[in-house]
This record gives sequence, structure tokens and C-alpha cells, in this order.
Amino acid sequence: MLRKEQNDLLTQTGPGTPMGRLFRSYWIPALLSEELPGNDCPPVRVKLLSERLVAFRDSNGRYGLVDEFCAHRGVSLWFARNEDCGLRCPYHGWKYDVTGQCIDVPSEPEASGFSKKIKLKSYPLVERGGVLWTYMGDPATQPPLPEWEFATVPAPQSFTSKRLQESNWLQAMEGGIDSSHVSWLHRGDLNSDPLFKGAKGNQYNLNDARPVFEVVESPGGLYIGARRNAEEGKYYWRITQWVMPSFTMIAPRGNHSVHGHFWIPIDDENCWTWSFDYHPIRDLTAAEIAAMRNGKGIHVKYVPGSFRPAANKDNDYLMDRDAQKAGRSFSGVEGIAMQDASLQESMGPVVDRTKENLVSTDNGIIMARHRLLRAVKALIDKDVTPPGVDVEHQKVRSAAIVLPPDQPFKEGAREAMIARPSVAPASV
Amino acid sequence: MLSESARAASAAEARFRIQAPNSRPRTTTVIALDAASEPVLRRLAGESWSRATFLQAPVGEAELRDQVDQSDQVIMLATAGGCADAAEAVGRACSRKRVTTTALVVGTENATEPELSKTLVQLRPWSLMVVIAGSDDYITDMMTALRV
Repeated sequence: MLRKEQNDLLTQTGPGTPMGRLFRSYWIPALLSEELPGNDCPPVRVKLLSERLVAFRDSNGRYGLVDEFCAHRGVSLWFARNEDCGLRCPYHGWKYDVTGQCIDVPSEPEASGFSKKIKLKSYPLVERGGVLWTYMGDPATQPPLPEWEFATVPAPQSFTSKRLQESNWLQAMEGGIDSSHVSWLHRGDLNSDPLFKGAKGNQYNLNDARPVFEVVESPGGLYIGARRNAEEGKYYWRITQWVMPSFTMIAPRGNHSVHGHFWIPIDDENCWTWSFDYHPIRDLTAAEIAAMRNGKGIHVKYVPGSFRPAANKDNDYLMDRDAQKAGRSFSGVEGIAMQDASLQESMGPVVDRTKENLVSTDNGIIMARHRLLRAVKALIDKDVTPPGVDVEHQKVRSAAIVLPPDQPFKEGAREAMIARPSVAPASV
Repeated sequence: MLSESARAASAAEARFRIQAPNSRPRTTTVIALDAASEPVLRRLAGESWSRATFLQAPVGEAELRDQVDQSDQVIMLATAGGCADAAEAVGRACSRKRVTTTALVVGTENATEPELSKTLVQLRPWSLMVVIAGSDDYITDMMTALRV
């Protein structure tokens, strides 16, 4: 459980909030690159950390992320014309460049210099690994660009999607580090999903539905190890990485791609769930990419023309009670992503953590909250840069590995948990 | 018209959640397995808890059994490199009553891998969850979260 004031602190990320300041310490994913496919393409509305913005790509290919509303009369610049290196408001023709600087006010004499006095709030927007990243914090403390491995491998080795999740970011992220739910909620998918099936590690999972957990602090967050019995007295470990504030990476299976998430607040009642799959040493196959686009693995099918999942709360997540009863699906909801999201959204927009009853297997969640609270306090009280900003904290991998019974997994999997170019992931 | 799931998940509907307590108080036993973790035990014992008992190993078999019988959960404290062989007796008593066990490894800042291994090999067979952290400042938060 958390006290109400702790819950409020962790779940509120708007401007001026402590947790909002923490999120604004990082480069965060804002859009898929494909959302701005060409120069002078239509602008896109973006809401992040409770700020309404508009993203665009100008005539020279430069990306901009600026206040959504024209400084003149408050018109949404989603309606703007994207032309000649700027967004022009269709109401009276005021025009802005990618920095938010107003560069034309047609009703005022150019010589007056009036336009120079108008500037919209803007944030940097840079492309890396098929994702457009933004940094919404103090420009004086802007960190180096992100170095997550999925965003730095060659493009054919990586696939990223995003989906709207209609809940606060924290309850979504906590699902990503709650390893104990996998044996229940997702039990039907290990041997059927094309992105998971066939791995030897699956058998360890299915033979032992009650893993034992170890939580170990890492430089950027936590290593969360789930331990199951393997042959000859050894242990099969699945090690999840959590890097602050909201990056998780799930242990791989066989030669399948490695995958993970970011959970980024849209506002306090909605977030983007970013889902990536990549392989460090090979291209993804056409069949793998087709499966990902078709909502397999950790991805979803969409309502056409949107990033809202096709199974959503407005259609009761396409609940299939017959499949649930017949054991084809434990929850009755199809697909790993929506099995998670449906339950997390059912908690309400912001779950009341004063009423929860955590148990020992929830220690990963407990430790993550503790680290977030500690980092927020250090940031607010002493300007201490939070873990995860340092790019070295981002060069991590999850791992699936068999180790001797007395070995700390942090030591036994030390090399496996570091991202190294052209080195195969540790997977079983 | 909203679906049942959409309506039920709204902030407006959250107002109608039942406010009555949904759990009874838990009884917790915290046991320091070695002398080096005793200062942590003493610090924790000085804080405000509702139903917690703090013990220092070794604990007599009868006392341990009685204590575990009254507990909903047992938390073991062990120092990296210390002698945690008391974990077996605690674990056996807990297994008999199906009481959950959590092991917290303290003093890891300067511990070597062999020291940590020595402790883990004693704890792992008897712990549902093991936590290894750089400092012990998380333990109070963890115990609060577990409603100690």
C-alpha cells in the first residue's frame, strides 16, 4: 500500500509537479517517426505530461514540437498549413517555425518586428530508431540522446509500436515488473503466440508455475529475477530490467526477438504504452514483423486510423467467455497486451493504492516505488540527477539464463545484462 | 451508450467503490539471522508497527514454532557474508504452516561475490522472495507496503 500523498506524488506528472519534473529529466518517446512521414506533412496533435502540443516536420525535414495553440486567438495549430518552413495558422496567417518562434504576422508591418516578440513554448524533437524523442525539461540540463539498444540497432532489426492505454502510467508500468502474473494471466500464450512459442525456456515456465523472485538494485533501477528449477540442481533465471522511470525489458525466449516497453504519461488518466521488439544480431523476419503488425506478442491491433487498441473498454475488450471457460484464454481477452491493459484499466483511471494488499511476490513493485520516491526527493531537494538519465544506465539487456544454485544472478548474468553491439542475447 | 467496462472504469464510478476495510491486520515476525543484522533489527523494532514481533536468531525450536504459528508472514534479515544457517529452521517452521517468507539481504555495499553467494545459498531454499539492495533504507517502506 501507499499513503494517499505518496500515490498522488507518483501518479501526477503535469507541469510543476515533482514527478512531472522527474519525467522531464529524460528523453521520452513522443511519436513514431512514421507519424510525420515527409516534409510539410500534416501536423499531429501530441499530449504529453499533461501538456497539449503539436508536432510537425518542416520543408527542410526539421522536426518541431510546439504549444498546440496559436498565440493570437488560441486556435489549435492542428488546423495549420505546414508550408515554407513553418506552421501557418489558418485563422489570420500567423506563422511559426520548429522552435515555436513566430516568423510572420501578416497584419503587422514586417518592419515593426512584432513577430519576434511572439514565441510558443517548444521542445526538441529528434529521430532515433524509428521513434521521435523529446526532452521537456530545463534546456540547461538536457542530457545526451538516448542510447537504448532497440533504438540504435540497424532498422531491419527492430520494430516499435505504441498504443493508447486509458489509465495512469504507474499502474501500467507496475504490470511490466509484476513477473508473478505471467503464470496466470498469460499462461495460454507461451505455446501458441508465434513470437514466443518453441523456446526451451517455455518448458521451464510451464513446469513450474510458482517461481521464486529476487529483486536486486541496479544503477538505473532494478533487476527482477524469476527463478525456476532447471536440470542438475541448477536454476533457470528470467531477468527483467527496469530502468527509471518507466522502461522495462522482458527476458527473451529462444531465438525470438527481445522486447520491452516504455510507459509515458499523456495526462494523469491516460498513457502511451510503447512496445519494442528487436534482435541484437539479426534482422527481424517478414513473418515476425507481420505477426507484430497483426497484434501478436506484446503488440495490438488498432481501431483503424488510430493508436487505440481494437479491443478496448468501449467493446468490453471483446471478452470471450467461451474461450475463458474452455481454457483457451485464462482471462477471456485475446492477446498479451490487452490481457494486461484490460485489467489495468479496470482498476480505474488512477488506482487507489491505500486499499491494496501487497504480498511478498510484489516486492519488485514495492522497490520500484521506493526508488522513484527516493529519486524524486533527491531531485527536488538537492537537484540530484535521477537514475536512468545516464546513457550507461540505458545500455542494458534482459536475460534468460541457467546458473548454478549458489550464484548471485547479478554476477552470473553480468555480461548478459549489458547491451553490446553484435553480441547475441542470453536466451534459453 | 457506454459499454459496461467503459462506464465502470470511469473516475465518476470510482466514487462508489466500497470504503470498508478489505483485509484484517497481518501479524508479522521479523527475524535477524545473524549478529551483524541485529542493528537493523533494532532500528526497525524502534519504529511504529501494529502487529510485529522482532527476534534475534538463534531462537529455540518451540518459541520459533509458536511465533510462526501466530504469523501471517515472516521477514528474515541476513547480512551478506554472515552466517544465515538459521534460515533453515525458520523456513521449516514456515513451510509447516504455509507461512510466506521474505529474505532481505543487508550490508551488500562492500560484500564480495563469494560472501553474497554464501548467504544466498542459505536463504534461497527457504525464501519466496529475496531482496538485495545497496542500503537498508527501503525496509521500512517495504514493511509498510506489506501492512506490517
